[in-house]
Amino acid sequence: MFFMMGLFTAEYGPTEVEALLESIAKGDQDALAALYDHARGAVYGLALSYLKNGHDADDVAQDTFVRIWEKAPLYRPQGSPMAWILTIAKNLALMRLREQGKITDLSQEDWESFAIPSPAVTAEEREVLHAALTALDDTERQVILLHAVSGLKHREIAELLEIPLATALSKYHRGLKKLRNLLEGDGTP
Amino acid sequence: MTEQQLENTLHSAIEHAAPDRLDAILSRCGAQEQAPASPSGKKRSRRFVPWLIAACLALLVVGGVSLQQATAVASVISLDVNPSFELRISSSEKVLSCSALNADAQAVLGDMDLKGTQLDVAVNAIIGSLVQNGYLDSISSAILISVEDNDTQRASRLQADLTSQVDTALQNASANASILSQTFTQDAGLETQAQQNNISVGKAALIQSILALNSSLSFDDLAALSVEELQQLQEAGAPGLPIGREQAAYAAQEYAGVLEVSAITWEVDPELDESPAHYEVELYTQFGEFEYMVDAYTGEVLGGPSGVLESSGGATTTPSTGRPSSASGISAEAAKSAALAAAGLTESQVSALTVKGDYDDGRLEYDVAFWYNSTEYEFEIDGTSGTVLKQEQEAHASAPSGNLIASEAARDAALAHAGLSLSDIRDLDIEADLDERIPSYSVEFKSGSMEYEYKINASTGEILSVEQDYDD
Repeated sequence: MFFMMGLFTAEYGPTEVEALLESIAKGDQDALAALYDHARGAVYGLALSYLKNGHDADDVAQDTFVRIWEKAPLYRPQGSPMAWILTIAKNLALMRLREQGKITDLSQEDWESFAIPSPAVTAEEREVLHAALTALDDTERQVILLHAVSGLKHREIAELLEIPLATALSKYHRGLKKLRNLLEGDGTP
Repeated sequence: MTEQQLENTLHSAIEHAAPDRLDAILSRCGAQEQAPASPSGKKRSRRFVPWLIAACLALLVVGGVSLQQATAVASVISLDVNPSFELRISSSEKVLSCSALNADAQAVLGDMDLKGTQLDVAVNAIIGSLVQNGYLDSISSAILISVEDNDTQRASRLQADLTSQVDTALQNASANASILSQTFTQDAGLETQAQQNNISVGKAALIQSILALNSSLSFDDLAALSVEELQQLQEAGAPGLPIGREQAAYAAQEYAGVLEVSAITWEVDPELDESPAHYEVELYTQFGEFEYMVDAYTGEVLGGPSGVLESSGGATTTPSTGRPSSASGISAEAAKSAALAAAGLTESQVSALTVKGDYDDGRLEYDVAFWYNSTEYEFEIDGTSGTVLKQEQEAHASAPSGNLIASEAARDAALAHAGLSLSDIRDLDIEADLDERIPSYSVEFKSGSMEYEYKINASTGEILSVEQDYDD
């Protein structure tokens, strides 16, 4: 099974992802591994955009893939399997927030503890991620992270977040501008 | 860093940050939930089997043919507005299933269970709910009735009956929508495409007819359009892919300068069969209603007031309907009068007068600036009450030399140089810098994807500098 890890880096289209879900529905763990390799970033990114905490996002991402395994036999192909996967992740993230009772802001201490152990994250990536998690409002962060990692179109992101497309677009553009201003050093997000 | 680079960095940051937990996940993979089994797949205890076989045989012998007719799908009817519904009916026009094909349709159906009803009852119920939900009010909205049936005679009859029935229902409800109808025979390819896009087979058939006019368009892009847009696109010969209602609404809001305003609603009417093809967008804001015409293919705003929150340099602030709401606040003109009154001056006594409306913590404020002899005045005027919030005056060694042109003249000089008219631009901002060695106006605006910054000599109208850049 593990020979697949790292090799399945090619972008999957909806048809390929649906084929993977079909195999998962039949109990194929290799297919789950392939799906995980493909969608891990998107699911983790979505969870992080809601939870702003690396540990919680990690938990929710794991729960999401376990839930996908359990629910795959119930999935009916609709042309947008990533939206289905990310809806599961979103619901689990919202459930986690409800359990916590509040949305926690990322303090400097949290950020440091969140400081990603992976040495693969470069200093620049760390800086951009930190800016995204601390300077953007909730919807801006969700729209931008989803667009960056999920491959969903703005229309699909708007549907997933249950907001009008125009809001998704304006949050996306405004949020990116905020990030650029912040990162380019004029200090005004 | 460009926005694309920023996104790419975020992408790689998340990919690198996401821990690899595959082993933990696989170790938790236990039993899977099972899809509801079809009746034939259900496990039954053996002792019921002979009874079942006997019962089935009896049914086949006694009423086999009629049972088959009663439960077999004879026709598939779809109704598309933007909510899309699919009704599968038997040859006796009994509804065997009624599906909402998208979220809008689910909301319209609510908890109505139309299975088992006659087709006419079901269609009336759906039309009634569509009207109630405001879908068929507009004169330009359209409902598409599609009948998919391999029996072409029956398809034609159903098409005529349904068209007449829907027409009566719309008239009774005083709804203005137009009715389109079509029939076609079963097409597996079309059904697959429809299913993949969560649209009805009827809408898929309409899209196919548009693709026949222009094969460079894509099925997926067209599926996102409403029936009304598709119908108009077909009539116009499908010259390209329209931007869609949401993008049109966004373009109008951006042009109006109200993207920052959260309490805003809009209505968009496509006019793709007119020349130029456009979307009519009405924005409803707390300041009034504003109407825009947005090019259907380029997204360029062809008409409507820009910068409705601002009023500097003559940018129009007049709502097109002339119906500002009671909470709309004072006009730029009133703010100017309030500032002049506070200074004890009249407009004819001052020079380089500029008025700029802006939002500060959600409150409308006007910045009014002018010169009187060698004194420069700046006021902040409350946009609701017209009271002076802040007043500053600065005495300079001398008055700006010579006669100064008005800020509108500076704006016009910049527009003439850029080859644009007032209706082409947005986000206009004019500031007077009259205490410099050469008094000047700074004129900034955006048009399309470009932003412009001019420095105009306030005495001569001469252009001192021009900067032009991509608006990012």
